[in-house]
Amino acid sequence: MRTVFDKLAVVRWLTDPLAIPFMQRALLATLLLAVAAGLLGTWVVLRRLAFFAHAAGTATFPGLVVAGPLGIAAPLAALGAGLGFAGLLSRMTRRGATSADAATGLLLTAALALGAILASDVYRSGAGVDRLLFGTLLGLGDGDIALAVAAAAAALLATAALGRTWLATGFDPAGAPALGVRAAHGDRLLLGLLALTVVAVLPAVGALLVSTLLVVPAATARLLTGSLGALLAAAVAIAAAEGVGGLLLAYHLDLPPGPAIAVIGGGVFAIVALGGVVRTAR
Amino acid sequence: MSSPAAPPAPAAAASGVRVQGLSASYGAAAIALRDVTFAAAGGQAVAVLGPNGGGKTTLFRVLLGELPAATGSAAVRGTIAYVPQTERSRLDFPVSALDVTLMGAYARTPWYRRVAARDRALGRAALDRVGLADSSGTRFGALSGGQRQRVLIARALVQDAGVLLLDEPFAGVDRTSEEAILSILDELRAEGRVLLIATHDVEQARRWDRVLCLAGTQIAYGPPADTLTNAVLEGTYGAEIVMLDCGHRAVAIQHHSHSH
Amino acid sequence: MDILSSGLLQRALLEVVILGATCGALGVWLLQLHHTYAAESLAHAMLPGLVIAALLGAPLLLGAAGGVLVAAALIALAARDTRVGAEVAVGVTVTTAFGLGAVLALAPDVPARLGELLFGDLLGTSTADLVAACVLGACVGLALCAGHRPLAAAVFDPLAAPSLGVRPARVELALLALLAIAVVAAVQGLGNLLVLALIVAPAAAAIRLGQTVGRQIALAAALGALAGLLGLVASAELDIAAGASVALAAIALWVIAALLAPKPARAAGAPRSLVETLGG
Repeated sequence: MRTVFDKLAVVRWLTDPLAIPFMQRALLATLLLAVAAGLLGTWVVLRRLAFFAHAAGTATFPGLVVAGPLGIAAPLAALGAGLGFAGLLSRMTRRGATSADAATGLLLTAALALGAILASDVYRSGAGVDRLLFGTLLGLGDGDIALAVAAAAAALLATAALGRTWLATGFDPAGAPALGVRAAHGDRLLLGLLALTVVAVLPAVGALLVSTLLVVPAATARLLTGSLGALLAAAVAIAAAEGVGGLLLAYHLDLPPGPAIAVIGGGVFAIVALGGVVRTAR
Repeated sequence: MSSPAAPPAPAAAASGVRVQGLSASYGAAAIALRDVTFAAAGGQAVAVLGPNGGGKTTLFRVLLGELPAATGSAAVRGTIAYVPQTERSRLDFPVSALDVTLMGAYARTPWYRRVAARDRALGRAALDRVGLADSSGTRFGALSGGQRQRVLIARALVQDAGVLLLDEPFAGVDRTSEEAILSILDELRAEGRVLLIATHDVEQARRWDRVLCLAGTQIAYGPPADTLTNAVLEGTYGAEIVMLDCGHRAVAIQHHSHSH
Repeated sequence: MDILSSGLLQRALLEVVILGATCGALGVWLLQLHHTYAAESLAHAMLPGLVIAALLGAPLLLGAAGGVLVAAALIALAARDTRVGAEVAVGVTVTTAFGLGAVLALAPDVPARLGELLFGDLLGTSTADLVAACVLGACVGLALCAGHRPLAAAVFDPLAAPSLGVRPARVELALLALLAIAVVAAVQGLGNLLVLALIVAPAAAAIRLGQTVGRQIALAAALGALAGLLGLVASAELDIAAGASVALAAIALWVIAALLAPKPARAAGAPRSLVETLGG
């Protein structure tokens, strides 16, 4: 009798939140974002852009802070801040003037400090800052869903059309142009799509934790498989599972979704990584 | 190792490289290459000899069209393929030997199409030709250095280029692969293609039809027997030549630079 | 000046000047060895330690030290991964640790001081914090002086270093240990998100302006201290967050240095796209 109750409780833990409208929207958004972030995340992991993705997400913070008070749509402000970051980074690292890691560190802290001052002293955003930094279950509106659809569609199209180019460019940067691969063109599109995906996941996971969807699932997938097609599919599946799991955890524990997804994602990665170590040790 | 499925060789007259008074630089900074003049016809293999930073890579870049000539001209007749050193490739990438080989067909595959079945067959034939038919499904990074170099040559075969640029194809390569690569290069030369082989190995350079000595500028160009004199070698390598066998053998001392 | 009249501000000023000098000097070596990612990763991943200390009412310094040790161990472990690569593995570790810290801090019924942990509480510097900063700063400073020659050998001639009795791997490890100490000292005033500013910006500016590493270190220490002073004054005059002001002051000094001393373009090498530059 007790086991039936326990099973029911578990089932209710899963299904109760899904009866609520805002959770249904959050769930839909998460599944769409899993497609976008899983696919783009695979390229982020392969092209070693993990730190850049995290930094780009963090860099949107000042944009998000000023969006509400200035009456700009948050994704637009975030995109502006993110593209500004990428542009400045490109400028600073051109011809080796500043090393990439130093430039990223400088821009990242500048964005955080600027956002902190704007939030605490100019616009007095107060507790709203948590939402910007770590995401929210509640605030996902139709605009966010539309953006998630766009990001997912763009990611699917781009992977189909440019996957070969990105693969060849990443595999052998010196030899790619000689193969007729339009490396520069493809990389520009990759960065643009990355910016779009970062902006799309911001409402759900927040500026400081874009890596939870963009990097961690794809990294876990990479531990599991060595073929590109399987990698892309696994990244999407893992992102979806972790996203939904994190969503439910956030609901029940009254937390923002970003940290919840982060903890689940990290746990899964650790288990898979340790499992691999054990397997090779045998 | 010639397979009957090998593609028809381009006619000897169709491929060639002609360089006239070429100079090139990266941006407004130091000139990387000055006054290079030589010509190579189909069926010729040219060893490009010189120290690091001497301009071998710069010359290749100009021939590939990636770097513009500052002065002079560089003309290539026929399609051109580049075989880089395998150290430059990402060994952890999820690509098999066949995947890498098929990259040679990317130029003729539109972005909305998968690689054609005919090109897939060409890829398998190319791998067979370099002796790696059994390894087509193996992950590229899991192969040995010599095997990886052979895969990159197979990639160039799929491109079916009349002119091939090879960047030190024998560096760090095991005996089996070295023999396989030499055999393939001889075949390609016999098919009427032009081969430019960048190398550090002075003895290796003697094997080919012509030698081009580069040290920031052209020191000499011609058949190895006439060109590889002590004077030329000292001019190319500066004081870094060690003479062995009473002056009959010359060995170049290589310094590896580490940039910070 | 008004700023010197209040004990609160006196302590904050002293602390931030000491921290600026320490982090500035240390930053020169970290930048020369391209360890900025390590610094940022360590600072981010230590958050759980800070939160646990705050929840338990323990001294922040203890939480910082514990957090940094665990973070360093996990990051070192992750960096050895061959399947996904060090950069990605460390990124996963940092994201997870940071997320864990946020979970602990944001779970309801818990006093939320997350903002101070993230962005610092410079004006809340107690005498104990100041003493800790002095002691830790002095340790780092002395270590940098004593280790100057091994560091120079490891950075500028790693191949010849062993013949000089210097093991570059050991030296780098020691440098990262000093980084950990500096981060622990600075986290109270600047928060774990902003400590990076004092480590990277004054050093980056000094590297552009100084010709020898000795001069760069001295300059970085001076600029770091100056950033602390300017930031605190701006914060007091404009009534804005102190830690963030110091961070922005440091970056402003870098911008000035970059405008005064633009680096010449690299001589050789083909131009690379941003993705290639980042991906390595």
